[in-house]
Amino acid sequence: MGFILNMEQMDTFLDSLKEKYLIFAPKRFINGGNFSDTDCIRYDLINTADEIEFDEKSKYSFKEAIMPISQTLFYFTESITTTPEMSNKKILIFLRNCDLHAVDSLDKIYLVNGFPDHYYKKLRNATEFVVMGCDKPFENCFCVSMDTNKSEDYSLSIDKDIDKYKITSKEDSFTKVFQDMKVEESDVKPKFVLSNDITVNIPTDLDNTVSKSKMWDEYDTRCIACGRCNFVCPTCTCFTMQDIFYSENGKVGERRRIWASCMVDGYTNIAGGHQFRVNKGQRMRFKIMHKVLNFRKTFGKNMCVGCGRCDDSCPEYISFSNAINKLDSAMKEVATHE
Amino acid sequence: MNRYIPFVSEILDIIKHTEIEYTFRMAYDGEVSPGQFFEVSIPKFGEAPISVSGIGPGYIDLTIRKVGKVTNEIFEHYIGQNLKLRGPYGNGFYLEEFQNKELFIIAGGTGLSPVKGVVDYFAQNPDQAKSIKLIVGFRGPDDILFKKDMESWAKTVDVTLTLDNDPTGQYKTGFVTQYIPNLEFKNKDEVATIVVGPPMMMKFAIGELLKLGLKEEQIWMSYERRMCCGLGKCGHCRINDEYVCLSGPVYNYVDAKNLVD
Amino acid sequence: MDINTKKLKKNAFRVTKVRGITAARIRVPGGFLNSKYLPAIQAIADQYGDGTIHLTTRQGFELMGIPFKDIPQVNKMLQDIIDGLGINQEEHDQGYPASGTRNISACIGNRVCPFGCYNTTRFAKRLEKAVFPNDLHFKICLTGCPNDCAKARMNDFGIIGMTIPQFEANRCVSCGACVKACTKKSVGALKPVNYRPQKNHDKCIGCGECINACPTMAWTRSQKKYYKLTLLGRTGKKNPRLGEDFIKWADEESIVKIILNTYDYVKEFIDLTSPGGKEHIGYIVDRTGFQVYKEWALKDVHLPAEAVVYSPVYWSGLHFN
Repeated sequence: MGFILNMEQMDTFLDSLKEKYLIFAPKRFINGGNFSDTDCIRYDLINTADEIEFDEKSKYSFKEAIMPISQTLFYFTESITTTPEMSNKKILIFLRNCDLHAVDSLDKIYLVNGFPDHYYKKLRNATEFVVMGCDKPFENCFCVSMDTNKSEDYSLSIDKDIDKYKITSKEDSFTKVFQDMKVEESDVKPKFVLSNDITVNIPTDLDNTVSKSKMWDEYDTRCIACGRCNFVCPTCTCFTMQDIFYSENGKVGERRRIWASCMVDGYTNIAGGHQFRVNKGQRMRFKIMHKVLNFRKTFGKNMCVGCGRCDDSCPEYISFSNAINKLDSAMKEVATHE
Repeated sequence: MNRYIPFVSEILDIIKHTEIEYTFRMAYDGEVSPGQFFEVSIPKFGEAPISVSGIGPGYIDLTIRKVGKVTNEIFEHYIGQNLKLRGPYGNGFYLEEFQNKELFIIAGGTGLSPVKGVVDYFAQNPDQAKSIKLIVGFRGPDDILFKKDMESWAKTVDVTLTLDNDPTGQYKTGFVTQYIPNLEFKNKDEVATIVVGPPMMMKFAIGELLKLGLKEEQIWMSYERRMCCGLGKCGHCRINDEYVCLSGPVYNYVDAKNLVD
Repeated sequence: MDINTKKLKKNAFRVTKVRGITAARIRVPGGFLNSKYLPAIQAIADQYGDGTIHLTTRQGFELMGIPFKDIPQVNKMLQDIIDGLGINQEEHDQGYPASGTRNISACIGNRVCPFGCYNTTRFAKRLEKAVFPNDLHFKICLTGCPNDCAKARMNDFGIIGMTIPQFEANRCVSCGACVKACTKKSVGALKPVNYRPQKNHDKCIGCGECINACPTMAWTRSQKKYYKLTLLGRTGKKNPRLGEDFIKWADEESIVKIILNTYDYVKEFIDLTSPGGKEHIGYIVDRTGFQVYKEWALKDVHLPAEAVVYSPVYWSGLHFN
């Protein structure tokens, strides 16, 4: 079912949801960028439709809405542990087609690999998605190659057309709100891109022997191990647990988890100081191989969804997609050495 | 079920091996196999993955090396006090794999901990294996773990204890790997081996075993990686498509040989 | 030849070592100009000068080898540049009305540089509008961040960009990048407490290294821009010295006002018997004492609550007299 809403109707619709939903969308933080007088587009709770940034790709993905950057697992005193209260509100997330495929990648780790994660499951079960169509590919996107340019598993699709919002609904409760509002019904087709400027080729014979290739060596010196590629990635799920105490003498504190990055120093450190993958090139290999091979070996689909945010945010201009495209010759290189 | 919440376990006994390595005997009733691990924690200080070094009625042994914030704090605890535990996690050693085998265990340093439960079991049930040989190496005389256990094992297990350096002249010296070429097998097909220790030691030990003509599937090993959540979520322990905390830390070499850190 | 050299100098021409030959100085506030003005500069150099151009130490142009007699024509040709660069002027076609207050120089600032904490060009132009054509000998320089690539501290007024880093604890992933950046590249105002950076605000110089290093936007810039104002640095024969901190976390408005107040102060206290009637501000403050200067400088200035005023200020430097 398709609807066309004007700005005012869109706000009325959002208002009608606020009692039940926390609404997350990409939002422009004016002067919120790293550099002076630059903006940052990232996720936040929104109040009105005009806060939703449609024209640019968000620097950070939606994932922080259901996988908080920092999440308290429990509070403790000497003898008691208590888990934090979590909101009973539902969550509505505005995201892109590729991002919705990324949700599936997150689900695989948090719900399928081992036992379901208590905290993720609670937020995830409360979440519904609004897919924001793309009428043109953004820089560094390669969703078509990853087969993530189109998605189905959403409650609403939305496309902004100057001052109108073109919406399709797959969710009866939303459809009913639109009908009650008597908004214009129309045959709306969600937008999606059919080609990107960047295409990637994942070799069919790819395996972990490619770690021996010399292709990784250049990243030893190029990469600065800042972790931006991981933190902006909609499919990276790693975290580290921390215990903190609220005061030096206090018996009270919390155990929390925070996002972790396989590119940042310390990720593999074990007791006694030994670390694996000291070289940044091998960290790059570890990350890339998870995104386009090792995850797939377990879950049957690629982890990477081709959003290109890693390339957008790399301060050293390292391209993830370009690295993928070197894998084919790297496989040939290691084959000749064996 | 929230698997991040630890349970309370009492320290039943503390066995001191070296200045920095103690075994904490912790109250635990439940299924557990040698080679599995627990996340041991002290709120305010954090968690550390510790492999099970012994199993008995109503208890498990956790041999802990004092090397960091959490373990330093654990060493401040006494018998009768509590620690918090989560687990057991991972796949341990399946004893059935080693029954009726000529069992050879090669361990380096604290690598003896995860495999100690296997030695214990066959030392107490010597009829369940064709033979048992343990080659274990430590750095020096002050680093030797499980001294008393080794004395009692000696009745049924052929123990070779070797040190990297021995100023006292009481012990054999040399790396564990140099004892491997002289191993004698009655029937090569009935041999099973376990190799546990630092990454380099495992690599060379396995190389020596393969030189003796053993098949890859006859070699078992245990990986020490950064097990942070123990639940296949946090990612720190992953190698290739394996979450060591879920499918490991014990692997057969057939699977392990392809793992690239 | 009968030329009033005082007037000539005030008109931004120079008395050179070659009799009858001058050089014309072009003010370029902030060292920023549209490339469309370059042909006019070239034309003056070619038609009236010796076809060469010197890039001055204060980011202007100096066109050399111009005969005194051509000054009126040169001034006419300068008109488009003066208009285009927004320079205050008294009489059309008469060139620059003053030269004592030197060209306001600036680094490239945040229009280009990732470290820049503000738009140095825009602020330089604002100051130019406010202070010119004052003819007192003032040197003003703007630099985007405490790296001070523009060498603002060698000027009477050094304006150094600052930002107050804002920390959102829940976005912090304990990667340590900010602490490392602050320790290694800046002043070490951050230390990890409970896995998160704790800022020593008194030590913080507002450079923004922590913000640039942060991979998760846990650190962001303050919406308001702040400046450090350094005072009375100078080169020279007697006592070259670096400018000292006067105000930290100052705002743009206050800085403009302080500089204008300083013109009043100098007019009041300048020693008119000094050679050429010129006296550097620093030597005047040395004479009146800092407290007197401070009273004049801060008259009707409303600093933001965050501002820290250093008083008294002591200078050091090299003493040769």
